[in-house]
Amino acid sequence: MSDAKHEPQTARNAPIDPRLLEILVCPLTKGPLEYDRANNELISRKAGLAYPVRDGIPIMLPEEARQLED
Amino acid sequence: MSQALQSRRTARGQDPTPRSSLDADAVRAAYRRWAGIYDAAFGGVSAIGRRRAVAMVNRLPGARVLEVGVGTGLALPHYLPSKRVTGIDLSAEMLARARTRVQQRRLANVDGLLEMDAEAMAFPDDGFDIAVAMFVASVVPHPRQLLAEMRRVVRPGGHLLFVNHFAAEAGPRWWIEWALAPASRALGWHPDFAPAALFEPEDQARAEISPVPPFGLFTLAHLPN
Repeated sequence: MSDAKHEPQTARNAPIDPRLLEILVCPLTKGPLEYDRANNELISRKAGLAYPVRDGIPIMLPEEARQLED
Repeated sequence: MSQALQSRRTARGQDPTPRSSLDADAVRAAYRRWAGIYDAAFGGVSAIGRRRAVAMVNRLPGARVLEVGVGTGLALPHYLPSKRVTGIDLSAEMLARARTRVQQRRLANVDGLLEMDAEAMAFPDDGFDIAVAMFVASVVPHPRQLLAEMRRVVRPGGHLLFVNHFAAEAGPRWWIEWALAPASRALGWHPDFAPAALFEPEDQARAEISPVPPFGLFTLAHLPN
């Protein structure tokens, strides 16, 4: 993903609005989220899940999230 | 959508056990099929209820508004610019239409659209002044859990609003319900949805309830948080 920032910005990889980040928590743990800009995912360390952002819309559903490997 | 109805009835019968993902999937599948024609099929009959609810949001104090079940974003253009609106829905297809509406109408007061389960929201406690759920309460598998989540994310002293069809307790409304029954099933509603499925008796006593035209088919309920 080293060249992620050189990709043209399409709807698909549109980043999340920073204002949104401030008001979001993990729906399972209600704990904080970190934004992984390169993968366009919201990471919940406590739940071990990465929530995808598709077309600028965060998908805050555990069943749609990627399991983090540790 | 008899399958969705079936699964929801099962889930409600087993309350408060966690619902299976089948319920959410069935509801999501219904709205995926309906996303393309939702506004034409349902936009008209629900328009007055939507306008009344948004008018009440606009009159209430507080700028941070959560619209639960924002769908295709039919209500979004009607909020005052001073209201900062966040919308959530379980259907990606409906949200895609809402996003297009926000872009085309340049609705700068819509802070975000998110795919989220109304019964397990990804918001902290007390983050909103007002939460409004239009035509949602009878669709979710566990209406009381929806109410609990709306209570949690709205600050104490804030406001919860619902627009919904509630079953007629008596009177000649049955034929309208009968006429709408096919659409109701398709959208995952059920015509026998009673206020008690959403509200505890003390909530029901506290709520300001007003009928909405046409025919009082829908009801606007305002519950101070």
